[in-house]
Amino acid sequence: MWEFWVRSLNASTIFTVAALGEIIGQRAGIMNVGVEGAMLFGATISFIVAKVTGNYLLGFLAGIAVGALIGLLHAFFSVTLGGDQVVNGMGIWILGFGLTAYIGYPYTGPLGLPRLPAIAGLSPFFLASLALAAGIWFFLFKTHPGLKLRSVGENPSVAEVSGINVVRTRYASVMFSGALMGFAGSIYALDYNPVWNYNFLMGWGFIALALVFFSMWNPFLLLGGSILFGALWQVSLNPEALLPNIFSRYIWRTFPFVITIIVLVLMSTKWFSSRWGAARPEALGLPYEK
Amino acid sequence: MNIAGYKIKLEKKSSFSGLEAAVLSILAVVVALFLVGFIFLQAGVDPAKGYAEIFSYAFINSFGVPLTLNRAIFLLLCTFAFILPMRAGLWNIGMAGQLYAGALAAFGVAFAFGARTNPDVPAGIVLPLMILAAMAGGGLMGLIPGLLKGKFNTNEIVVTMMLNFIAFWVTAHMIKEGGPFMGSGGEGEGFKLPASLQPGLFLGMPFTIWFALGLTALLQFVFTKTRIGYEIRAFGASPAAARYAGVDPFKVSVLVFVAGGVIAGLAGYHYFATVPGLFKIPKNYGDFGDLAFYGIICGLISQGNPLASIPLAVLFGGLTSGGRFVQGKLQLGFGIDYAMLGVLMIILVAFQFFFRYRVVFKKEALP
Repeated sequence: MWEFWVRSLNASTIFTVAALGEIIGQRAGIMNVGVEGAMLFGATISFIVAKVTGNYLLGFLAGIAVGALIGLLHAFFSVTLGGDQVVNGMGIWILGFGLTAYIGYPYTGPLGLPRLPAIAGLSPFFLASLALAAGIWFFLFKTHPGLKLRSVGENPSVAEVSGINVVRTRYASVMFSGALMGFAGSIYALDYNPVWNYNFLMGWGFIALALVFFSMWNPFLLLGGSILFGALWQVSLNPEALLPNIFSRYIWRTFPFVITIIVLVLMSTKWFSSRWGAARPEALGLPYEK
Repeated sequence: MNIAGYKIKLEKKSSFSGLEAAVLSILAVVVALFLVGFIFLQAGVDPAKGYAEIFSYAFINSFGVPLTLNRAIFLLLCTFAFILPMRAGLWNIGMAGQLYAGALAAFGVAFAFGARTNPDVPAGIVLPLMILAAMAGGGLMGLIPGLLKGKFNTNEIVVTMMLNFIAFWVTAHMIKEGGPFMGSGGEGEGFKLPASLQPGLFLGMPFTIWFALGLTALLQFVFTKTRIGYEIRAFGASPAAARYAGVDPFKVSVLVFVAGGVIAGLAGYHYFATVPGLFKIPKNYGDFGDLAFYGIICGLISQGNPLASIPLAVLFGGLTSGGRFVQGKLQLGFGIDYAMLGVLMIILVAFQFFFRYRVVFKKEALP
């Protein structure tokens, strides 16, 4: 049972880190539906760097850096060019999906490095993700720069008048957001499942995106959602642990995706949105023009 | 910005002509292919030689041309599945799931008539039923995001993506490890259709080409000449304004997603049940789901225009089949077609800008 929970928490780490990135960007008014693409880049690049150099640290740094670059690209499209953020995000996803399939292919297979240390099976990154969630909550709701970031996402014109540089704030937020997605991908590729395979994230980025809506843009609610989905994922991988012999293992694999849809539907009902909907950043998804 | 005495200004476009759109689209494809050339260079292949090999295999070689055509039909259907919702401002990235569902439903009919073990099935009944089932299967898969979007305004991107994975694993369940549709070879692939259910070729092409061409005409007509086409476009341009004009958002979103799903279901039927050498759901069915994403590219370049999608489907059908071929011949890494997909997509995103702005050069008056 301990094993099950440890695996669940380790999986939740990846959802948490990626979705925290998305929260930061969305709080500043920029939606990135290409979380999966940024994560695929982070995962693939960190995997290649770590495999070639034999150095985990370099791997993680490369994953974070490439994530930030993807964030920069998204910020350029969405802030400077002012395009449709959904289209830009889809671009990021398909770019990540297509290019990483090609770049990573020669490195298909296991990483071949000694596993990163764990505490009774629990990845230290889980603890880091807790700290990150708390830190981002504190930053967003208890500090002045956090207030500025949120005001840019709520009403950029008013923020601009009160002396905040909207463009710079959005660029910084989206790059940091991309860096976290890249980091989440690196954790997946270097710690959680260190075997490269084409498109090996299998939709985790999209689940992280759904978790942001679920979280009401609050890091702590997000943490709860991530752990729930981490556990669901583990049930779907090892159904024998809880419910033996009901479905084939393939049918179990559909489980987290079905639950994601159900949760998403519950969240989009009138009942839910009238209760919680106010948390949505007012200017989310809208390009800002002076 | 000033360069060499010219003042460069951006002007917002209110509209653009068809010619302008065509030129920009072609330019976008050219820029993307140019950038993919760097991937060839990096792999130690002369880009000109690489493209020459791709194009000659795809459009001249007698093995390559049928492959290109099969893919073009498939891509055209996937493109239509994408542009129906796109014209209404909605994103259907669930073509993969819808085509798996269509294929499963079609093979389900064959299975129900005992075609897995018995070669003598009444083809005159089973074949049309398979086609109808493929349409129904894809349509049902499309109904889910359509209903959820229309009723609860649920994010259709996440829903269709989740459904892709669900359908992917359900297909695995059906054809692998003792699943009901597993073939007798025990290789983890679906059963093969008996000869009676293998439709012959028409002028060297699967008969599904008529579906693709017929749908092109139908969609062109619907978009330009009918009230529902107008409603779809109005809703895509501005949901709020369309609501004032009496457009029912629920009706529009259900309609475009179901119709898109039906067409994607046909794409699944086309590739798995009419292409020579297949006639089964193969082990690598996931590759076809990935190929379906080229439908997004075609749809974005054609700006949702059914007629303009035809040359694009042929082009990308050829580029992907040719890409697969040169990969083996020139010892490129696997997945040049995937890399091309990614680069094309991001260039298209960048080119959006030119669809909205016009760059104006003005001679600066000397001071």
